[in-house]
This record gives sequence, structure tokens and C-alpha cells, in this order.
Amino acid sequence: MADIVIELQNVSYRYPVSDDYVLKDVSFTIEKGKFTAIIGNNASGKTTLCNAIRGFIPHFYKGDLEGIVRVGGKDTQETQLGQMAEQVGYVFQNPFIQVSGVKDNVFEEVAYGLENLGVPVDEIRLRVEEILKLVNIGHLRDKNPFELSGGQRQRVALASIIVMDPDILVIDEPTSQLDPVGTEQIFDIIRLMKERGKTIVLVEHKMDLIAEYADNLLVMSEGKLVMQGPVREVFGNPEYERYNIQYPHVTEVALQLQKSGMPLAFLPVKDSELAEALNLKGVVACD
Amino acid sequence: MKPNALLQLHPMTKFYFSLFILAVVLIVPGYWFAFSVFLGLVAISLLAGVFKEFIGIVLKALVSVLVIVFLMQIFFFPGEQVLWRWWIFEIKQEGVYYGLILTSRILAIGSAFVLFFRMTEVRDFVKSLEDKGMPPMGAYVVLSTLQIIPEMRRQANTIMEAQKTRGVETEGSLFVRAKAFIPTLTPLILSSIAGTEERALTLESRAFSAPVKKTSLHKLTKSRADRILPILFVLIILGLLVWRVVLWQTS
Repeated sequence: MADIVIELQNVSYRYPVSDDYVLKDVSFTIEKGKFTAIIGNNASGKTTLCNAIRGFIPHFYKGDLEGIVRVGGKDTQETQLGQMAEQVGYVFQNPFIQVSGVKDNVFEEVAYGLENLGVPVDEIRLRVEEILKLVNIGHLRDKNPFELSGGQRQRVALASIIVMDPDILVIDEPTSQLDPVGTEQIFDIIRLMKERGKTIVLVEHKMDLIAEYADNLLVMSEGKLVMQGPVREVFGNPEYERYNIQYPHVTEVALQLQKSGMPLAFLPVKDSELAEALNLKGVVACD
Repeated sequence: MKPNALLQLHPMTKFYFSLFILAVVLIVPGYWFAFSVFLGLVAISLLAGVFKEFIGIVLKALVSVLVIVFLMQIFFFPGEQVLWRWWIFEIKQEGVYYGLILTSRILAIGSAFVLFFRMTEVRDFVKSLEDKGMPPMGAYVVLSTLQIIPEMRRQANTIMEAQKTRGVETEGSLFVRAKAFIPTLTPLILSSIAGTEERALTLESRAFSAPVKKTSLHKLTKSRADRILPILFVLIILGLLVWRVVLWQTS
């Protein structure tokens, strides 16, 4: 049995002065080193769930939290917010606000978290250099963070977090401002982080990429965790259709083909599988 | 380009220098001295290569204040020797003398601090205060304010454009523009308040409140001059004080 790093037990939450629960009785566990994607339509509670994992709920946002959230074996209710920064890196949605506001250039901006963690200066320089190269923003190093475009800021925000080398990365829609090429690059970085043994929780709407990279899926709908499991199982489950969430394009196509009478060898979720899923039948038909 | 030795001084040294000027000008009597201190400051600004900005700010900010102060003094300072009189206004010898002393001192002290901020990056100054023990929270407040003001100006422009597309008149007479101000200002303030929440989260996720001692890429070094000059300043002030006391007792 692998290590469980994130564990939620019957978690319900409502924001202050709100009557409705945003999270309703959510329970799941995430094992170390797994890449888990949270999917769901807008306002289904994905970001709130991220906040709960990071400990911003209940430490920053008050409101009523029921149930237990354990990260790295410790109850987040009892951990201090400041202590969690090193353990859980959180990149959030709005890239325009994710700037420290005290640094003149991207290099120092990325270094800011390490300064706060008290890392020696020489080491900071090395680590920042490495991350700038990794995230492909070396050419921005002397620019003012306030003068960057949305996509550039998103990359700087991601770099600023992964440079701190947290064990768990919670990433909330990191590609909303990026073009397809930029998006691929971000996913490449996330995959690299996974290879380095990080546990990754990602909120994302781009199903094709999720199918390509993620291990497990958590499907949120109206505050409830309605489905969970390995990516292929979840997409393959007929129940998934009920929640009106997008399929990966290839799965969508395959399902349509299936409906119109073409049998499938299996349900493809990655682009590269489509041929194989159809081909088997195709070969038989030729005979 | 050769780095300027004066600009290279530690911010604290420059700050002590301003305090030193303040003390000296108050200790030494007479306006001739204070005016010559001002000339000295002008010379320093030339050497440091910040003359243009320095003199610009002094002219814009200080001179109007000085003129008002001087006029107040020459007309309203109580005295005997009337130099010139018109209707209820009288210029008195004592008033002129006191006005000159006051304005020369304000000029010297004010321009000493103007020069300080021309020669020192606020970032460096805040860093040196942090080294002296100012909490990082305070340092953050000062530095973020510096960056947020231009950011808010940009945002105000965006909001202004947005309101324009919604048909709010933003050009024309003063009254029209004043009316457009309110629909611009309200969203600006509201969005800034909303922004603070996310800013706080950003800082939190960058380990701002991590319970460890912070390090900094930004290092200030102290040269030999930085160690000697403050001592020199204190010695001169002490010397001047002794001189004043002796002068006062013998007279």
C-alpha cells in the first residue's frame, strides 16, 4: 500500500454568510507521486477543494468546515498556514494577481519564496536559474512582473511555486491564458514534476491533456464528489455522461461512432489509441 | 560607466548624513551658514550626478513654501525697527532677519532630505531598515505601495476605457469629467479591496509567514567610508555643541 499524502474524510464546507454548502461530504485519498485531476463544470467546488487541501480553508477563509483534511498525515486544522507553504505549493487561477508586488524583475520574483524560506543566497541563485530554464522564461528574467502578458505571468507564477520544491503541487487551471503550445509546455513541466516524485493535484478543463497525463480523476458536481478513480475507468463509465462534462475529443468521437453502430475494441481516451480501438474492427471487416 | 562613489555609500550612511545636516544647521547660528550648507548640498548633488532631479524637486516643492514662510515672517514677526510701511503692513528688521534664518534652515534641511531620496533607492533604504530590525511586514508595506501605485493607475485607465465603451462621458468640460470620476473610482476601490485577499493568498503561498529567518538576494555592503563617516558626523556635532556652550558661557 503506497503512502497516502492527502486524505479527506467527509468534508463539508460553506463560506461565511452563505447558506449553501460548497463542498458536500467529500471523501477521497491521494497517494504519493500520483497525478490527480479534478474536473467538473464551473462552480462545482473545484477551487474550494484546492483551498481546503492547501489549508486556506479554514485558516484564511473562515466559514464552517466539517470533516477532516489530512495533508502529509497532519490535520490541516492544527497546522499553521506558514508551515504548509514548503509542503504544498499552490498555483492559483488568476495570474494577474499572483505577483508578490515587491520585486522589480522576474528573477527576483521567482526567488521571493526561497528568500522567505530562508534558503542561502547561493543556492537560491542556482535553483532560480534552473527553474527559469525549465519553465522556459529565461528571456523574461529582467522584465518587471507587472508588465508581463497573461500567459507569461502564468508561467512565472508556476515557476515561483515549483522553485520552492514542495512535495505536493496544487495547480488551479494553469493554462487558462495560454495558447496550445504554451499549454503543452506547462503539461510537460507538470509531467516532469511527476517524474520527480511530486504529488500533483490539478484543476483543468482541457480533457485531452488530462487523459494524456493524469493518473486519477475526481469528478465534482454541485459540491459533491460524484466519481473518482483511474482516468480510463471514469471516462469509460456510462455514468460520466450524466454530469455534462466534456469528454476527451477522441473519446467523444469514439462514442459517437459506437452509437452509430461501429463496435469498439475498447474506449480510447488518448489520441494515439483511436486507430487501435477502431483498427481491430477494421481488420476484421476487411477479411 | 564607473559607479559613482557617493551613490555607492550605504543607505544608512546617507541617511545619517541628512540627520547630520539637520543637527548642524540647528546648532550653528546665522543664515549665512545655512545657505552655504545648501550650496554644499548642491555641490554634492553635482558630484553624485543627480543635480537635475535634485534642483528640480527643490524648486518645485521647497521654494514656494519658503516664499510664503518668508513673507509671513517679515510682515508679522514682532519688532521695533520698521523698514517699510504701507497701510497696515510693516516690514521690520527683526522680521527680515528671522525670516532669513528660518527659510535658510528649512532650505538646508529640506534639501538634505530631498538629496537623500535622490541618491538612495527606496528599495535599498527599506532593506537597510530591515537589516536594522524593521519587521518584514513593514518592509513589505512600503515596497508594495511603491509598485502598486503605477499598477493602480494602469487599472484606472482600463476601467476608464471600459466605462467609455458603456457610454459614460469622460471627455469634455470639467463638470463632465468630474461626473465620470465616480463610476471610475468606485470599481477601482472595490477591485483593489478584492485584490488584497488574493494578494494575501499569493504571499501565503510564497511562504511569507513561514516561521524561519528570511534570506535576501539583495545585499548591502558597508565600505570603510560607511564605518568612518557616521563617527565623523557624531564628532563634528559634539564639537559644535561644545563650541556653542563655550560661546554661550563667555558671552
